[in-house]
Amino acid sequence: MRGARPDPILLEVLWNRLVSVVEEQARALMRTSFTSVVRESGDLSAGVFDRRGRMVAQAVTGTPGHINTMATSVHHFLRMVPAETLKPGDALITNNPQQTAGHLNDFTVITPVFHGGEIVAFFGNTCHALDVGGRGLGADARQVYEEGLFVPVTRLFREGEPNEELFRLVRANVRTPFEVVGDLHAQAGSNDVGGARLVEMIEEFDLGDIEALSDEICTRSERAMRDAISALPDGLYENEAYTDGFDEPIRLAVSIRVEGDEMRLDYDGSAPQSERGINVVLNYTAAYTTFGVKCAISPEVPNNDGSFRPVHVTAPEGSILNAQHPAPVGARHIIGHFLPGLVHGALARAIPDRVLAQGADSLWNTQITGRREGGEPFTYVFFSGGGMGARQGGDGLSATAFPSGIRGVPAEVIENISPVLMHRRELRPDSEGPGRRRGGFGQEMEIGVRGPSPWVLSAMYDRTRCPAQGVNGGSPGAPGMVRTSNGEDLHPKRQQRIDADERVTLSLPGGGGFGAPTERDPARVARDVTDGLVSAERARLIYGVVLTRTARHGEYAVDAEETARLRAGTASSPGDDSQEGAGQ
Amino acid sequence: MRSNKRHRVGIDIGGTFTDLVLIDDETGDQSVGKVLTSQGDPSEAVEEGLLGLLGREGVGAGELGTIVHGTTLVTNALIERRGAETALLTTEGFRDAVAIGTEHRYDMYDVFIEKPEPLVPRGLRYGVRERVLDDGSVAAALDEGQVRSIVAELRERGVEAVAVSFLHGFRNPAHERRAAEILAEEAPGVTVSLSSEVAPEIREYERTSTTVANVYVRPLVEGYLRSLEERLRRIGFEGSLYIMLSNGGTASVETACRFPIRLLESGPAAGALAAAFHGRTADFPEVLSFDMGGTTAKACLIEGGEPLTSSEFEVARVYRFKKGSGLPVKISVIEMIEIGAGGGSIASVGPMGLPKVGPRSAGSAPGPACYGRGGTEPTVTDADLVLGYLDPDFFLGGRMRLDREAALRAVEGGIAGPLGLDPVEAAWGIHQVVNENMANAARVHAIERGKDPRAHPLFAFGGAGPVHAYRVARALGVPGFIAPLGAGATSAFGFLCAPLSFDFVRSLYGRLDNLEWAAANRALGEMEEQGRDLLRASGVEESDIRVRRLCDLRYVGQGHEVTVDMPDGTLGPEHTGRIITLYRKEYRRLYSREGPDVPLEAITWRLEVSAPPPEIGPGGGDGGAEDPQEALKGEREIYLPEENGFAPVPVYDRYLLGPGAVLGGPAVVEERESTVVLGPEGKAEIDAARNLVVRWSA
Repeated sequence: MRGARPDPILLEVLWNRLVSVVEEQARALMRTSFTSVVRESGDLSAGVFDRRGRMVAQAVTGTPGHINTMATSVHHFLRMVPAETLKPGDALITNNPQQTAGHLNDFTVITPVFHGGEIVAFFGNTCHALDVGGRGLGADARQVYEEGLFVPVTRLFREGEPNEELFRLVRANVRTPFEVVGDLHAQAGSNDVGGARLVEMIEEFDLGDIEALSDEICTRSERAMRDAISALPDGLYENEAYTDGFDEPIRLAVSIRVEGDEMRLDYDGSAPQSERGINVVLNYTAAYTTFGVKCAISPEVPNNDGSFRPVHVTAPEGSILNAQHPAPVGARHIIGHFLPGLVHGALARAIPDRVLAQGADSLWNTQITGRREGGEPFTYVFFSGGGMGARQGGDGLSATAFPSGIRGVPAEVIENISPVLMHRRELRPDSEGPGRRRGGFGQEMEIGVRGPSPWVLSAMYDRTRCPAQGVNGGSPGAPGMVRTSNGEDLHPKRQQRIDADERVTLSLPGGGGFGAPTERDPARVARDVTDGLVSAERARLIYGVVLTRTARHGEYAVDAEETARLRAGTASSPGDDSQEGAGQ
Repeated sequence: MRSNKRHRVGIDIGGTFTDLVLIDDETGDQSVGKVLTSQGDPSEAVEEGLLGLLGREGVGAGELGTIVHGTTLVTNALIERRGAETALLTTEGFRDAVAIGTEHRYDMYDVFIEKPEPLVPRGLRYGVRERVLDDGSVAAALDEGQVRSIVAELRERGVEAVAVSFLHGFRNPAHERRAAEILAEEAPGVTVSLSSEVAPEIREYERTSTTVANVYVRPLVEGYLRSLEERLRRIGFEGSLYIMLSNGGTASVETACRFPIRLLESGPAAGALAAAFHGRTADFPEVLSFDMGGTTAKACLIEGGEPLTSSEFEVARVYRFKKGSGLPVKISVIEMIEIGAGGGSIASVGPMGLPKVGPRSAGSAPGPACYGRGGTEPTVTDADLVLGYLDPDFFLGGRMRLDREAALRAVEGGIAGPLGLDPVEAAWGIHQVVNENMANAARVHAIERGKDPRAHPLFAFGGAGPVHAYRVARALGVPGFIAPLGAGATSAFGFLCAPLSFDFVRSLYGRLDNLEWAAANRALGEMEEQGRDLLRASGVEESDIRVRRLCDLRYVGQGHEVTVDMPDGTLGPEHTGRIITLYRKEYRRLYSREGPDVPLEAITWRLEVSAPPPEIGPGGGDGGAEDPQEALKGEREIYLPEENGFAPVPVYDRYLLGPGAVLGGPAVVEERESTVVLGPEGKAEIDAARNLVVRWSA
């Protein structure tokens, strides 16, 4: 790698090795974390940066919001703490929303790696903290000050020794000091694992540093990204979408200008900054935007400094997608998760075969606070996914998070570590967005809490008013609902007190469909009806499929003749009211 | 004087071939047989192969003490969905647990991924009114009337198999057992499996998935094993038939019929056992077993002569062999990493303009370009052929001719042209990239378990393993590698290394500082008693039984459990300190760091009973010469990066190399199913068991 013309074989060997180094870094963090969303959901990111602070490689982990926001973070750190002042054993930390992952609950830790007395690289990771004080994770705050402890770029470790003052400050400000402090140690430890492996690699291949490797990788990634953009027809692609917002629906608008090998995505026309904590910092906006672009046009190109270069993401200052300090940002993912779907909808006109219809998009984030039967307080958080949007090649996946990459937590585990009771968790029939390919089904959960105390539900749910739209004539999925067992509707984004014996039913939204429902293969409709996921009535009204019961219990078969007749007569009607989501 | 029943046979049914290995326990002599697998009833080929082998060796079926058998039947039935019509009874409100799964997209960027369809369609998944809580208490009694009416419906629907998996059934199995009783009363012909017996561990999705998969294949496996037993009796076999399990142990036919899911992946498990055995005889108690076949490479760490095991596995992947796209099963398995790097793996230029190998594979149809069956993309085998590592006239012992020109064209078109390299450079690139991929995967695998990847010599088998072993071993920086004789029958041989063993699991959750010790002791006691009964019933002497008691512990609040050996005897609060010490030691070993000062909680208790591993003599002693000159077949040119090009090297016939023979690299050693490529710094020696043991000369 010190030579002039890089040998592609050696480069591939080194690149693979570098990827395995960051994988190891990420796994070390997952295995030693004390926070279940990190362990079970992979809510973290890990990566390596060259001496100039450019991200070269990162592990494939949980969520784009962490992965892509980390890309620019080292520059922020180095502006505050110049590289020449760093010593071996130092580690830096911040949770500055504008500079890193968009809310205070994500800490980013950066560690310089020394070799031969000089910095050769930085390892960084971002990971969700169980608590950062303040009001607790939610959208209720009016300013970031209410959202918890803000740690500007600071040393977490100094020459191998923990910065006790900072740790004391953290312990004093968070509700779960043990887990939070444990995770900070785990974050620093995982960077050390990466650093040790990188030094081994540098020595083994006699590299000196990784600057030349980084140049080559970033240049090639950039070229690959430019090739992918060039393959799109030049033009202006626009789309808009609505999210529930806090009290009023919020408009999100994107215009994508594809020109040669560059792509400019601008969010002008989106709603202004909100008074509630659903604001998104530009860094986070860019993270989910580039994620959406990558899924559609370049899934194979690695994420690094180079691959982001030809993609420009902008939003007006003060927009909900470019929130300025001290706007509250706690529940920024609620809006951020909509961006890949928005981008896909815009690109549907150019590449209909490679995009998704809208899905539930935003994760449903449930936080329950209350008392155990013995009286001790508890807090438990879990995430759940609704249906994914349909694709040209297949139906949308049911109860699967997109764009977030997290995992759900099993009911048995939830009940094991908290007094929360899961009374029901099933797919939600008739929630799919009909289409030639239908959207994924949402899920329905009925939850309660053991014991005699009332409890608080901190809801962070979306798509209760603005359902997931289909593409190319596909219909929208069912909107979400939150309801108590008494049939009372709850607010989807507030903290609400629930009586001790009351249960809450979460009905998660379904994904949008792809193509006209009346073009759906009737056999597939029959299967969904046999499975009890679509009603026979709906099959007839929406899909134009007439079914008959077979001799086998619960099984339905297509009445081909009646179906043909029905579809011939009504072919245009069910699809008509479903055009609104088709992009533009 | 020949004692009666001193012979044992290992039989491995693979997709294409059924391999047999016969061992004379007194002399250690081995002989190998191979027949085509019979596709309809695989036991036909077993009979044919066995009669052939015994006839050749002049051994009567009555002289066989033991047959150990492994089969891919379960894996294939799950991949091809050929199991029984199965229903699921689960807690009301949770019948979609098997469909919802983990809610996880296993590929972050690919929006076209698919998830596996549950083995039981939704219409056959029944929610039953009952509820057990996390502490085992009953919140709602089992609605027996409802169960009866469901069973009546199942009978009407002709269901053959039923899985019962209730929420927290592993904590309190009373409802599952009662449902089983009702099933037995009302539908006696139906096969039933309970989650509390098949996989009594927390996490409803994985436990239910395992239980369903188990019962789904039960009728098939029972039918097959009974038919095999009968065939063997008919030809005069009077010994014991044991079935190889995924964790490297063996079980009786009875146990295999009840828990067929434990038969998954027995072939690779046996390969790891063979690696452990040969490693011990070659004085390498720690090896990395390295099995490189047509589509994938598998690696497994052997520590202290024993392979590592894990309790998680995934079968029947539905999307590009990707991890996460299969059905999860909670069974004890030999822990392996598998990567998409085999002889058939396709090399291509990726979007970054760099050469990539796999995970796409040309498989056996069309196969590598050099097979001449229509493949045009370059594969690892094509590169190996271009580099001279394979002899086009001696592939599979000459049974198949390889077309070097076709390989060259494929490498030229797929890699060399686009990258501006000459074809040989490109072929070397493919060889090197695939080696590095395997080395990286093995390195991460080792380090994740707190092992030094440089400490483990490779044990290389499978068709392509010995071809690549030299360079993979060099890339990993290990002290050498071992290539066994008869790389094709390694699994069948491994069966004969397996001890008879049984595993038990109980979930019993509690913080160590206020654990219900009596309940833990009771669980351990019951598991031990069951295990001893099973071993005694298989003819194992009481005094030979080995018992291992383990507990999965974790820091309160942390997610990953660490499995720790428990002290002997009745456990109580006085053992807490000792257990914490053992835990911390293991934690340090795994994560190379001290754990925090936090209380521990126990999650799952495990118990293994086993008989001593069978003794196998050195075997294969005679045959072959000590002087390698007598095994010299000729010379051919192979690519050596050290020479920057091709250089002539000697080619040896593996079958003519006897114990004590020493040869220096560079050289090629050929046998029917594989080829050992030795680089310039390798020095090979044939050991007493006729393994080829390579160490570095410099």
